[in-house]
Amino acid sequence: MDGFAFTRDKVLRRDGVEKVTGVAQFTFDLAFDGMLHAKALRSPHAHARILAVHTELAEALPGVFAVVTGADVKHLKRPCHGVFIWDQPIIAMDKVRCVGDIVAAVAAVDEATALAALELIRVNYEILPPLMSIDAALAPDAPPLFEHPSDGAAPKVGVMATSVKEPQKNVLYDFGYKVGDFDAVAAKAAHVFSDTFTFSAINHFHLEPHVNVARVAGRRIDLWSCNQDPFQIRSDLARLFARPITDFCVHATYIGGGFGGKSYTKWEPLTVLLAMKAGGRPVRFAFSLDETIVTLTKHAARMTLNTAVDANGRLLARRSLILLDGGAYADASAMTAIKSGYRVTGPYRWEAVDTLARAVRTTKVSAGSFRGFGGTQVSYASESQIDMIARRLGIDPYEFRRRNFLAIGEPFQPGDSGMDVDLMAGLDTVAAKIGYHKRPRGTLKGCGLAVGLKDAGGTGNHAHAVVKVNLTGRTIVHAGTTEIGQGAMTAMCGIAAEELKIPLDWVDYGRIDTDHTPLNNGTHVSCGTTVTGTAVYRAVTAARDKIIAFAAEQLGCAPADLVLEPGWSVRKGNMSYPLEPMIQKYYGGCGYEFVGEGGIKVPYDPNAPLNAKNMFWMVSWGAAEVEVDAETGLVTVTKLAIAGEVGKALDVQSCRGQIEGAAIQAYGQTLFEHMAYNGETPANATPMSYRVPLVADLPAQFAGLVLEHEMGPGPYKLKGIGESGMLAVAAAICNAVEDAIGVRVAEIPLTPERVLAAIDAKRAAGPTPAPAA
Amino acid sequence: MTATIDFTLNGKKVAAAVPANRVLADFLRDDWKLTGSKVGCDQAVCGACTVLVDGAPVAACSTFVFEVESAEVVTIEGLPDAGGLASGETLTPVQRGFLEASGFQCGYCTPGMIMLATALLKRHPDPDEKTVREWMSANICRCTGYNAILEAVQRAAAIARAPSER
Repeated sequence: MDGFAFTRDKVLRRDGVEKVTGVAQFTFDLAFDGMLHAKALRSPHAHARILAVHTELAEALPGVFAVVTGADVKHLKRPCHGVFIWDQPIIAMDKVRCVGDIVAAVAAVDEATALAALELIRVNYEILPPLMSIDAALAPDAPPLFEHPSDGAAPKVGVMATSVKEPQKNVLYDFGYKVGDFDAVAAKAAHVFSDTFTFSAINHFHLEPHVNVARVAGRRIDLWSCNQDPFQIRSDLARLFARPITDFCVHATYIGGGFGGKSYTKWEPLTVLLAMKAGGRPVRFAFSLDETIVTLTKHAARMTLNTAVDANGRLLARRSLILLDGGAYADASAMTAIKSGYRVTGPYRWEAVDTLARAVRTTKVSAGSFRGFGGTQVSYASESQIDMIARRLGIDPYEFRRRNFLAIGEPFQPGDSGMDVDLMAGLDTVAAKIGYHKRPRGTLKGCGLAVGLKDAGGTGNHAHAVVKVNLTGRTIVHAGTTEIGQGAMTAMCGIAAEELKIPLDWVDYGRIDTDHTPLNNGTHVSCGTTVTGTAVYRAVTAARDKIIAFAAEQLGCAPADLVLEPGWSVRKGNMSYPLEPMIQKYYGGCGYEFVGEGGIKVPYDPNAPLNAKNMFWMVSWGAAEVEVDAETGLVTVTKLAIAGEVGKALDVQSCRGQIEGAAIQAYGQTLFEHMAYNGETPANATPMSYRVPLVADLPAQFAGLVLEHEMGPGPYKLKGIGESGMLAVAAAICNAVEDAIGVRVAEIPLTPERVLAAIDAKRAAGPTPAPAA
Repeated sequence: MTATIDFTLNGKKVAAAVPANRVLADFLRDDWKLTGSKVGCDQAVCGACTVLVDGAPVAACSTFVFEVESAEVVTIEGLPDAGGLASGETLTPVQRGFLEASGFQCGYCTPGMIMLATALLKRHPDPDEKTVREWMSANICRCTGYNAILEAVQRAAAIARAPSER
């Protein structure tokens, strides 16, 4: 019925046995003979000029092998990295720009010696004013965080879009997008609503902290990294150190969680630099989880949406200003601005759009990739406002969405690909799951809906794969998508098993290093099943064609006369021929391996807004039921249903796990989780004080639902699913809270204080009309 | 200051000379190369380092080695010996429950979750939903959203009760 050779409802993941027995090896577990341990000295100041770093005492401490400061990178022509805009030095050179910025690092025989050495380092700072908010950074008299333009370039965009690097002081990047004439459309509209939403920063809190091990052996340098993007790291290392790319070999092991926090270059170059000075000893640079919390966050944001609607409840035009708090360094902020700006219009039809998405530099922890990548922020703002508009117009939010949804096949924006989901079907699924249409009224209970959307698969992305099929039918898939928990190994092996008609446990996923594995842009943008999956599909079918051609030659028939059949044999008419003896007889020795390779490149297209047509639309639907305690402001989510559309599922449990895992991250952020500051210092950057959801926090009823609309671009109509579950949660819960208390809280997390303040303000303002039924 | 500590590790007698400030997680991972117990927070918050000490789940990152004097310590590597396995089976019911329910994603919290669930099912072989939720709230998983872990524990309980009915 499901069309797959293996049972996709009962898949045993290919990484499962290793993980449940504890033998799965993570970068954190690696140890080599003679390995040194590195620790970092971090700035206590948010913004300061480094006048001097005194390291003599540390260098003299027995057991210390290398001490590195900004002086070690100043000679490099390009000592900074980042995604498109390169502004983050390998180690702080002239200034520090956030509390936790690394000013010195030590490699020693053990961590205790390294920490003792750090105590001996003295840094002279000239304190500069911190810029702890978007407003502080944009103030006319704010000091510049960067005195000179950074290296790198703005990403290229397509029709109707603009992309500007460092347009003004303390602004890293501006993305603009304009279709139609917003002012003209708004002038004739029945209503124009303006609302502002505030979104908090959260940390990824992957349980394996950032960790790298580097070893220099002559010209060649090996790096074992927990990073999601081994090939991106290799490119950056080559550029930073001005060396041939083949000098570096980046190895990827199992990754202990990432969610974006381990994408793109972080402190890998510093680990390599320490190893270069360590006299051939391998250097392990493992952060504590405290240090990981001050390494990267999701972008905090303030978003103002002006939305024009006609008298019949049809959306007409939207003008959006999206301000993202990018923190100290660029990391992936420019791309996040692009994606948030582009996605802010949601799954609806518009006559005019006018968007500015701006990444602002502040003296906070750098913001970068986080599951959803700008889509979470704008899905929250957009779906909150859609709900508010519906209530103001006296239309049920469900009906309001129905009137305005894009149809299947309708382009998201002019020049882009069409909607490849049935938006109403998804909304009906989650609405039914929580009983939205029969919800009780007039109590402190409420229900809310939301639809999250992002483009996915990457912009002009590409990947390559090699599949090696042994004479026994046992197969190894080589591809660069790392196993970060999402089930990449199982999905890639599943595609090979399907095409070779062999059991899933006959296929293994090759270990990844940049010397042997075909190049891949990285494990992000939910591109594994579609981009890498297509490459694997093409590679395995190429190998299969070779196997068929070989068998046809042995059997003296045409390849078209043969079909591969389950059990590692070929069938010709009524006769079945086992492949293994046939191959062994011809090749002798230790047999043979058929090697197939395949790749995919999504072409660039300047007529698409983002310079490539989007590969697929990642849509999820959320429905929440809440109860609010009017005395304390405490919000309790009693039901939460999140549906993600996967195109087609190879492994239903894994798809559900992706949806539920992402949903609970967003759920924590909506209710309580956030990165707090006390002045210029992070206030809760420890595992003890940074609260993430536990089992005890789960809604009484919580379900992730896997929807298959079978319009995806991958093999078997697959889509990606990794980020989907994040997108609709915050708005669904916030909308349910308004449904319950009749007033909007336009800032997350929904702390009891904020909810209570909203209830009190409403009481003070006197009675208002009941919300629409 | 070094002391010789005698205890049982995964069924074998150990006499180890360890500094007084040596914690169990470092001892297991660095000295014995038992890296199945993971270190996440290093502050007894996340539970990735959970091991069993006389059958009780403890955070190895925050337990001194001297605290396990005379005790029986079991890590994920010692589970097949400790689990009373049916002949031919290489996974305990808890491991099988987690495998079959995909009660893991990245796998970093998994050994700790499995040790916690092992202790839970030893005390409550047929736990109700509330008991499972209370116990499993002790450890953090950032990947799964927990539903699959809760299902894995119930599946493990069912397997342990009737191993042949799988």
